Amino acid sequence: MSRLILVVLCILCVDIAAAQTPIDKGRYLATAADCVACHTAVNGRPMTGGRPFHTPFGKLYSTNITPDKKTGIGNYTLEDFTASMRRGMGIHGNLYPAMPYTSYYRISDADIAALYAYFMQLPAVEYVAPENDLIFPANLRFGLKAWNWVFFDRQPLQQEAGKSPDWQRGNYLVNALGHCGECHTPRNFAYALKREAPLAGNVLEGWDAVDIRPQALRRQGWDRASLRTLFRTGVSEQGAAFGEMFSVVKHSLRHLSDSDLDAMITYLLDDDETASGTVAQTTGDPQAAAEQHPQGRADYVAYCAACHGREGTGITLAFAPPMHRNAGVRGENPYNTIAVVLRGLPVQRMSRTNARAGMPSFAKELNNARIAGVVNFMRTAWGASGTAVTEDQIAKIREDLREHGFLGEHQ
Amino acid sequence: MAKIPVSMVVNGAEVGPVEVDEYTSMLDFLQEYLNLTGTKLGCGIGVCRSCTIVVEGQDGALQPIRSCINNVGRFHGTKVTTIEGQAERNSDGALLKLSPVQQAFLRNYSFQCGWCTAGFVNGATALIDRLRREPVSANDVEQVIEEALGDHICRCTGYVRYFRAVREVIESTPGLLKEVE
Ligand code: FES
Ligand code: FES
Repeated sequence: MSRLILVVLCILCVDIAAAQTPIDKGRYLATAADCVACHTAVNGRPMTGGRPFHTPFGKLYSTNITPDKKTGIGNYTLEDFTASMRRGMGIHGNLYPAMPYTSYYRISDADIAALYAYFMQLPAVEYVAPENDLIFPANLRFGLKAWNWVFFDRQPLQQEAGKSPDWQRGNYLVNALGHCGECHTPRNFAYALKREAPLAGNVLEGWDAVDIRPQALRRQGWDRASLRTLFRTGVSEQGAAFGEMFSVVKHSLRHLSDSDLDAMITYLLDDDETASGTVAQTTGDPQAAAEQHPQGRADYVAYCAACHGREGTGITLAFAPPMHRNAGVRGENPYNTIAVVLRGLPVQRMSRTNARAGMPSFAKELNNARIAGVVNFMRTAWGASGTAVTEDQIAKIREDLREHGFLGEHQ
Repeated sequence: MAKIPVSMVVNGAEVGPVEVDEYTSMLDFLQEYLNLTGTKLGCGIGVCRSCTIVVEGQDGALQPIRSCINNVGRFHGTKVTTIEGQAERNSDGALLKLSPVQQAFLRNYSFQCGWCTAGFVNGATALIDRLRREPVSANDVEQVIEEALGDHICRCTGYVRYFRAVREVIESTPGLLKEVE
């Protein structure tokens, strides 16, 4: 009997593999590249664009990438599509580098063709995104030619010799398709990626897209299992994905195949370094923290402990992640710990039946000194960060967030 | 387990200083220490807002706060109003007059099982206090109510009637709406 089941299963598997059309492949690749996140407005139809991006140069809207002939990419040939993906050359002129062509130029020909096949069979929707609202000279599209000339350096993907095929696949997924660097790599004055510091972390839209280089990940306590849990569910014992990263998990990462997810993790944690085993995890000292920051501790107890637990152990994972193993608290950069206290977090819905509670914003209630106290208490108790945050630092982040309308979103 | 002294004003009466475990949630404090059981536990995790109470900020503005996800220490030294404190009472505690929000809820039958009602009434009370300081134009009323109360969850789903009740109070109270120029 069991042999029969096995045979049927084998036939089924062969069938599934054989049935993978270019369209299916394209759908999977588009998921890996998370096209839908950027090309969908809040409550908008998928892939029709209209989602705003807040850049230092003003507001920019994503475009319609359904095959509508008038407003979308219906008139694109495969060559046109390739040009826009690889070089940012749309048929109506240069695309802004918010479209990650500076990563996509590394996507293979076969994958581009599959993506094209997938997009071209989507339902065509007529929709025009709002006009961009950019300051001079960023509003002049021809300037982008010069930008490309100076900043768009087309180095092929560096597949280091001696790395496993898994690592290389991960490299491709992280640095080409997944374009992780577009958020996680710092940018220069012209908003171009700093090639010398790939994946070293970057603040955008009021959050720190954290340093995801192997050393940093390990110091914050990430390992294969916890990264896998985070990428599959959006939550883990090391903390939760929020902001844009939550939507990356929701729309992209959790749909990837096991082998691709593992490949990405292999690349991110860099197995070779594990072998040399250099990086120690940071932990903290709750006793010392309570002595050094009594007001911070009192405020932690009053404002945070009801959800995050008296000893920082969280309540239930799906609801409030622990603080004592929290990568954010352990991170070198205190930005997110501060920003989350000031901004709060929205309720996050993974699906109809799977959601996580939000967190209220404490911007109104806690002044800069008290926020500094809470953050310092947490970082001393569970982060062992070394450097204390100052009132001025909080004031500056508060001001930045206020200016961009991120403050007190979630009461 | 560390104890902290807390004192506050609840529904106009001085409470404390009493020593409580510092991790006591405000909801438990109200129910177990003060015997004020009108504040209801729904989800216990900050989602449903049935446990909403009202706190007077330093600027005198009323703020709706969820008592389940905040520990009692957060309320030390503040003025708190729970559903029991909404109506006017005489010195013997006998009821004199319901608050306008309570009356509107009664008029509109804005409750079914009533579990969420205390939270709704307190949320609406804080909203009305805010409109007194920052009036809105008549066209925005619906949206303002949605923003303030849209996150309150009612398992019996009588939202239409809750929103209607709140709208009635806003429209019939002078000074909450901007004069049209
Ligand atoms: S019981 Fe407090 S929000 Fe649900
Ligand atoms: S009336 Fe039953 S929960 Fe709202």
